[in-house]
Amino acid sequence: MTYETKMKNTYKNKLKSMVKHPYFGFFVITIIMLLVQVLRVAGVDVANQTLRAFGKTMIYIIVGLGFSILLGFGGLASLGTAGFVGLGAYLLGYFTNNKGYSVFLIILITIVVAIIVGTVVGFISLRIEGMYLAIITLAIAEIINEVFTNWTAFSNGIDGMIVNNRIVLFNKYIVLDPNVVFVAISLALLLMMIITFNIMKSPTGRALLAMRNSTSAAQAMGISIFKYRLLAFIVSTVYAMLAGVLYLTYIPSTFPVPGDWTLNLSLLILAAVIVGGSRSIYGIIMGTFLIFGFDLAVLSNRNNFGGYFVEHPEISIMLNGVLIILVIMFYRGGLIRLVNTVIAFIKRLFLKLKNKWKEYRYGPDSE
Amino acid sequence: MVQIVNRIKTNIYDILLKRQEANLSYKKEYLVIKTEEVNEKRAKNIAKTELLFNHKLAKYETHAGIASSYINELIREKEEIINKQAKLDTRVLKQKIKQAKSDDLVANLNKKIADVEVNRLKRISDAKVKYLNPNPSESDKALYDNQRKELEDLKQERIKKINLKADLHIEKINKQTQASIEKLSASISSFKEKLIKLEEQMTDKNTVVLEKDLILSLRNLSMHFGGLKAVDDLSFDVKKGEIFGLIGPNGAGKTTVFNCITRFYKPTSGNIYFNNVNGKTVHLNEMKVHNVIKEGIVRTFQNVELVWELNILDNLLVAAHSSYRSSFFHHLVHSRLTKREEVIYTKKAMKILNDLDLTPYTYAFPIGLPYGVLKKVELARTLMSNPKLIILDEPAAGLNDTETKELSEFIKKIKDEYDVTIFLVEHDMGLVMSICDTVCAISFGKKLDIGTPKQIQSSKVVQEAYLGGE
Repeated sequence: MTYETKMKNTYKNKLKSMVKHPYFGFFVITIIMLLVQVLRVAGVDVANQTLRAFGKTMIYIIVGLGFSILLGFGGLASLGTAGFVGLGAYLLGYFTNNKGYSVFLIILITIVVAIIVGTVVGFISLRIEGMYLAIITLAIAEIINEVFTNWTAFSNGIDGMIVNNRIVLFNKYIVLDPNVVFVAISLALLLMMIITFNIMKSPTGRALLAMRNSTSAAQAMGISIFKYRLLAFIVSTVYAMLAGVLYLTYIPSTFPVPGDWTLNLSLLILAAVIVGGSRSIYGIIMGTFLIFGFDLAVLSNRNNFGGYFVEHPEISIMLNGVLIILVIMFYRGGLIRLVNTVIAFIKRLFLKLKNKWKEYRYGPDSE
Repeated sequence: MVQIVNRIKTNIYDILLKRQEANLSYKKEYLVIKTEEVNEKRAKNIAKTELLFNHKLAKYETHAGIASSYINELIREKEEIINKQAKLDTRVLKQKIKQAKSDDLVANLNKKIADVEVNRLKRISDAKVKYLNPNPSESDKALYDNQRKELEDLKQERIKKINLKADLHIEKINKQTQASIEKLSASISSFKEKLIKLEEQMTDKNTVVLEKDLILSLRNLSMHFGGLKAVDDLSFDVKKGEIFGLIGPNGAGKTTVFNCITRFYKPTSGNIYFNNVNGKTVHLNEMKVHNVIKEGIVRTFQNVELVWELNILDNLLVAAHSSYRSSFFHHLVHSRLTKREEVIYTKKAMKILNDLDLTPYTYAFPIGLPYGVLKKVELARTLMSNPKLIILDEPAAGLNDTETKELSEFIKKIKDEYDVTIFLVEHDMGLVMSICDTVCAISFGKKLDIGTPKQIQSSKVVQEAYLGGE
């Protein structure tokens, strides 16, 4: 190899290794999300609702990522996710309004509470499996909901508490600009994606998968079921509660109301993870955009379809149902499998067309 | 009271000792890997420097007309480009000939093809002249000699610098790691001394110590499920380095014995003792299921229990789980320790796969692989945790005759190469009789006979159990 070709190849290889790096896709997604905000600031007419939809969807993606570690890797089902998201939101509201704690302290408190709640549910999961575990987590979420409704000192009861994007940053109350929070959410999403990827590809991820396949084989390999069940629940609860904190900082002038955190939301998150593909980060992003994003950005916008879907919100739920049935019947691995197949097909097609064009342009290859 | 304190102390020291030993083995591996890394970097830098100096010298070589290997390489690359272009041109012209309608046009195109060939040769010779002066002057040669000496000196100096830097780096790593290794070894030996002292104090307690040539001993083991006596007062010893077979008719309690040894079942009564990796006798009744592997016992299952979502290499890495030092928080941020451990265990897994001729399947997923291969992979997986005793639950179940024969060779190979003891339950008498050193026959949870395969074959009790009395 000569010096010139080597120099040429170096830049090529550097670019290649950058594009091929596993984190590259996550950065691309974050940049796309940020672009939506940038376009809006730059004056392009992005509907307020669309922007909100993107923000909300990103928050649900974070919940979904935690859920994928629990369901896709740990093989444990939970229907209590919404309750945990609500708990995170309420913690932020309570400690800001009543105590005036700094937001960083509240995040720490949230993580500690999440670890405690996750440990409790994890302990239950040691004895109970499958459907029954799902029902128990549902019951826990309902208990949390009842606490929200009835413990007025903590949650201001059924009226909900008014937070209005107000948080304490270093001893001072400030009102957050949703545009700034959007950027913060994008960055949080990037961080969460990278962390989730690290867990998935690490010995921990492998241990969780082994446990999902067969508990006895996993134990024989030296994997402690106790440790990893607890870990799966703790990780997913921490994700959910942090997402709850983000949710409350982003949604303007709404207050957490007990009715927001019911089975309905848990089921939608479960649906998003299953529709997208429970073991793939890109799959979860796709599933969440299909289940939440499409509904929030397109269907519930009054300007689209003459407001038809706003007047008939049940149709959107029916569409979700049809989607779930189709995915479960034809693509068990989630839509990410479909996308991978399509990408492979397009690649093959492209190669074929390229060869055909060459043949047409230059004539058949003599050798 | 003192007894209890001593016992707690022993346990704590044991845990600390194991951790220190894991640290020590990691440090040793780290030294190898880090040295390799530095050497790789050094080789890369040297190659880069040589290329750069060749490039600088090329100008003078061209003027002086010296066909060095670098100049030849330059010419070859140029030729490649020219040839490619010519080939493409010819291809286009040929296509045009096919589509041409008049003979005139064809003749014209044929001429053009010939032109392309001539042109190609001319360009090649031009390139040669460009890179290699055909009639160099004396002054050019003198200049070349001069420059070459200078550049050569410079190059040597650079390489020396690179080497020096790498050597210093390696020396530093060596020093640091050796120091920590010595420290670790010292603390390990002090722990061992403390442990021995504690054990001396506890001699009044009736601790069992197995003889050195034994590895596993079952003493009066019983396992009752309600009224059913699956294992009833069973005792036998397994010697170090042998292949031990446990046979018996259906429902004799063979798998129950297995599950008792690997702690999936808690025996109703009786004791199981095992000489572990450190040569210490442990009472298996006190162990937890997932800790048994740390003492050096690995098992396989009747039906293949691989992780279907992971490829074969990752499946092997799952089995190394107990030897990982990095914790969840290391994995969270993908720390250096995690990366290095992945390298260490991947290397180990590759070596095992290579030893057992499973390399072609390294990156394959278990779904769709032949059953015989999966069984072999499961066996290979057991070797990842440096076991002392491998327990095989019906290894030949579901295999045909050829595969069974292959498997028996495979088991013997594992036993010889990895210095392990093998304990198996099997229905296939051919396999048991051909590979086992000792066979124990049980029926309804009771021991019938134990001995070499020949003794068992001629034993009347065993024949009765299998074929029915009288």
